[in-house]
Amino acid sequence: MAQLTARFRTENPRYAVEDVPFSVPAASETADLSHLINKLLAARGADHKYVEFDFLIQGQFLRVPLVTHMEMENISTEEVVEIEYVEKYMAPQPEECIFHDDWISSVQATEEWILTGCYDQTARIWSLEGKSIMTIAGHTEVVKDVAWVKQDSLSCLLISASMDQTILLWEWNVEKNKVKALHCCRGHAGSVDSVAVDCTRTKFCSGSWDKMLKIWSAVPTDEEDEMEEAANRPRKKQKTEQLGLTRTPLATLSGHTEAISSVLWSDAEEICSASWDHTIKLWDAETGGLKSTLTGNKVFNSVSYSPLCRRLASGSTDRHIRLWDPRSKDGSLVLLSLTSHTGWVTSVKWSPTHEHQLISGSLDNIVKLWDTRSCKAPLYDLAAHEDKVLCVDWTEAGLLLSGGADNKLYCYRYPATASDVGA
Amino acid sequence: MEQPLELESDDDLTDSEESVYSGLEDSGSDSTNSSAAEEEEEEEDEGEQEEPSNGAAPKVKGAPRKSKALGADPPLKDSEGLSVPDEYEEDIRNTVGNIPMEWYQDFPHIGYDLEGKRIYKPIRNKDELDKFLEKMENPDYWRTVQDKMTGADIKLTDEQVDLVHRLQKGQFGDVHFNPYEPAIDFFTHEVMIHPVTNRPADKRSFIPSLIEKEKVSKLVHAIKMGWIKPRKPKEDTPTYYDLWAHEDPNSILGRHKMHVPAPKMKLPGHEESYNPPPEYLLSEEEKLAWEQQEPAERRLNFVPQQYRCLRAVPGYPRFIHERFERCLDLYLCPRQRKMRVNVDPEDLIPKLPKPRDLQPFPTTQALVYRGHSSLVRCLSVSPSGQWLASGSDDGTVRFWEVCTARCMKTLPVGGVVKSIAWNPNPTICLVAVCVEQSVLLVNPCLGDKLLYGATDQVLESYVPPEEERVQPVQWVTATSEEHSRGIRLTVQHSKALKQVTWHGKGDYFATVVADNSNMQVLIHQTSKRWSQNPFRKSKGLVQCVLFHPIRPYFFVATQRYVRVYNLLKQELTKKLMANCKWVSSMAIHPAGDNVICGSYDSKLAWFDLDLSTRPYQLLRHHRKALRSVAFHKHYPLFASGSDDGTVIVCHGMVYNDLLQNPLLVPVKVLKGHTLTMDLGVLDVVFHPTQPWVFSSGADGTVRLYT
Repeated sequence: MAQLTARFRTENPRYAVEDVPFSVPAASETADLSHLINKLLAARGADHKYVEFDFLIQGQFLRVPLVTHMEMENISTEEVVEIEYVEKYMAPQPEECIFHDDWISSVQATEEWILTGCYDQTARIWSLEGKSIMTIAGHTEVVKDVAWVKQDSLSCLLISASMDQTILLWEWNVEKNKVKALHCCRGHAGSVDSVAVDCTRTKFCSGSWDKMLKIWSAVPTDEEDEMEEAANRPRKKQKTEQLGLTRTPLATLSGHTEAISSVLWSDAEEICSASWDHTIKLWDAETGGLKSTLTGNKVFNSVSYSPLCRRLASGSTDRHIRLWDPRSKDGSLVLLSLTSHTGWVTSVKWSPTHEHQLISGSLDNIVKLWDTRSCKAPLYDLAAHEDKVLCVDWTEAGLLLSGGADNKLYCYRYPATASDVGA
Repeated sequence: MEQPLELESDDDLTDSEESVYSGLEDSGSDSTNSSAAEEEEEEEDEGEQEEPSNGAAPKVKGAPRKSKALGADPPLKDSEGLSVPDEYEEDIRNTVGNIPMEWYQDFPHIGYDLEGKRIYKPIRNKDELDKFLEKMENPDYWRTVQDKMTGADIKLTDEQVDLVHRLQKGQFGDVHFNPYEPAIDFFTHEVMIHPVTNRPADKRSFIPSLIEKEKVSKLVHAIKMGWIKPRKPKEDTPTYYDLWAHEDPNSILGRHKMHVPAPKMKLPGHEESYNPPPEYLLSEEEKLAWEQQEPAERRLNFVPQQYRCLRAVPGYPRFIHERFERCLDLYLCPRQRKMRVNVDPEDLIPKLPKPRDLQPFPTTQALVYRGHSSLVRCLSVSPSGQWLASGSDDGTVRFWEVCTARCMKTLPVGGVVKSIAWNPNPTICLVAVCVEQSVLLVNPCLGDKLLYGATDQVLESYVPPEEERVQPVQWVTATSEEHSRGIRLTVQHSKALKQVTWHGKGDYFATVVADNSNMQVLIHQTSKRWSQNPFRKSKGLVQCVLFHPIRPYFFVATQRYVRVYNLLKQELTKKLMANCKWVSSMAIHPAGDNVICGSYDSKLAWFDLDLSTRPYQLLRHHRKALRSVAFHKHYPLFASGSDDGTVIVCHGMVYNDLLQNPLLVPVKVLKGHTLTMDLGVLDVVFHPTQPWVFSSGADGTVRLYT
């Protein structure tokens, strides 16, 4: 078969072409089709600049010759095939490489600053340019997770969770560049592996190795919540207590039978927790009740929720990234598996702006950028790390961050499309 | 019984006609005719004495001609019959009557004439020569016969000779008799116009019969009354019946049931061809050798021969012989039904489930824990599964975070770490480390602060007893410098140690000393700091010891045996025979009824303690010595690490019901360790909650497989 009839369509009116069937060579690949579209556009308007396109057939990216793809997807080659084209996603451009003193356990970035948790028992604040702004020391053990609570121009609130079983709530005065530990949240009986702040910025939850999920208030108060001072506390603990007022959890949700590895707020009143007991549980934060359980068959390392597509992505101790529909009531429902990693997937993060894209970090030292429309292969492999990747993040400004056991935090600028660069 | 023409033929052997007669007489004769024959003889052969012994000779001679003579038999009798009345009239000279003339053999006379005078025999003094001369000279000799009644020689006339000839030919004696006159039938087949009788027909043949009418009316009446049914139409279908319908199938003759077909003959090959390929033809030497061989020894029982065309092939001379030999073979050779067991070899292999169905089990290497600079001898995982402790030949103990392979702590202990054991009690945070001659009890200060704080408190709350007890070891409290490193207690032995293992409750631990004395095994109690030697006598070099997870049993593995002691009753309960040369390691199933033993001769023995003291199964999957074996706490998995650098994970399902034996299926070979100094994997241990296995190798790494 030499020729196929295809009809091209796009969402972007800038690049729209006539809605008539074209005869295209069956063996044509993405580059050939892109060339064709560009020719059409150039014929229409003289001032057209060459744009790379990517092509989708029935919601799947074209990665092989057209006819091979259609055979694989069981699409009839007799009829007119409708091909959607979008501007090609540009490769993420490496921007910064921020060196740490120790392994980077967690990262969270905002428009201005990057907050990282480090295995040297500190949390660090960096500017987007890679300048070290602040080192927050106070934990007596490895910092496992960090999160921004609130950002003002004057002061910011942030939390850090550590293996020393506490979560510290810090206030960072931006102008004076000073941090102060406001509260020490104690109550966990194990390493606190994950924290997440809710959308109202008044509460946060934490998941710990002691199998408990705790909800805390994120509002700083002056008076001490609890004056429970045991005399027989070890010296170390007393030292940390001086860092701030002790705070106890608002609620404790128990139900997991193994350590909780990752928590997040999927809604204003819904918490999602992933655990080593092979389940993802959805909790009602208001009542503290268990809403539903998604059961997998591997330990979950990380979970991420995208409000755009309302799906959960999970990374577990195998090679796959699985997409879940949290609203499904019939137990486990894996919508899709993204398989390309060769080691455990330690961390996943949905794009905050794009409903199809997510980023994943793995023990095979590679960060991968995925589009759920192309589940066989990732869009881009970011192979910069020399050791295990432990955390990834994706800001709304299109910054990809990944930190790992090679003590480096890599930043990538990810313009979704070439036109965004110009814009 | 005499033969009428015997006498005449006696001498004249050359005459063919006579021979014909003698044969004829021999066959066809019956008692009625015999008397007539006698008479004829008497009449004709008077002169010559007949010898009874002569009868035999012509018989033999005449045998081939029997068939010829038979046809002439009946007419001859007829002619005799006819001739009888003549003879009566003629033969009146001798009055002795119809008696055998032999009676007069010894007398000079032969009978009596009508006057009653003796009839004397004619003087016969001829000897054989005279007889012969006469035979030669007398032209009428052939027609001269002796009259028996008178003894005189009679020359037969021409008519008489003719008569004899005719009779010999089977013709009637009378020349004029025509035996083939046309016969006149009394009842002829031709239809005559006139009846034979001329009687008019009876009246009754015209009148209908009254009796018949009566009979008919009776029948008609009976039919009307329904007494007689009209004749049923005859069924055309022939009735069959199944001859063997009711036959008992078991009563079939054994001969039929056990029919053994004759073995098939070998089909002809190229040698038998009329034009075989030249390599099948025998050379001269081969032919010679073939001829010299015994027929039974010959490979071929014929010589292959070549012919120009099939037409030129002669008849097969050995055909009958060959058939005969075949028949001999068949009936002389007893045939027996061979009960061949028709078993598919596939069926003999036990049905094992596919490893796919036995998930989860570790399949791939996930993490490598790097940091040790020398071989890592021992591993232990914390009961929570968060931490991993490893002891190495570089004199350090390292504590790792399991999920990231982060080395959290490094504890230099100043000696080769032979064995390490995390306290199985989840409320105690204590690790026992075997370093040279002492056991260090280390608090790693990892995990829950409350927990490790409480552990320290428990250890500190020890109050020494008032009276000092003699102990085989020394308990030494750590110095402050050691305390800061985490070491809490040191149990100093007198000799180098090779193993330490905890009891399930976490208070007792046992150590094995590497020597051959009775002090090899010691049991220590942490809370009381008290050690004891449970064995008075050494039973061999102890390799390793284990506490039963539930019951108060104590397993001691020596080189070849595993002894199970009851600690409460203080006696030997069982002695397991390992069937291997040197036990290296041992692990017990969490339920406590199954034990596996690894050995240096690369075998893994699974004992079912309920079943027997011998291995339930012996697995030989490794190519080199096994160093370590381990059971998983929850999953039905066990693993073995070997010097060949591999870890083999097996599915070992133990069923609750006693009737079902454990199911052992090897599921995965895990590779990753590089061989260093001919050593591969030194220790394997399972994660307490996940189906993951850790292995430590001589290459200084610890690997996690998930």
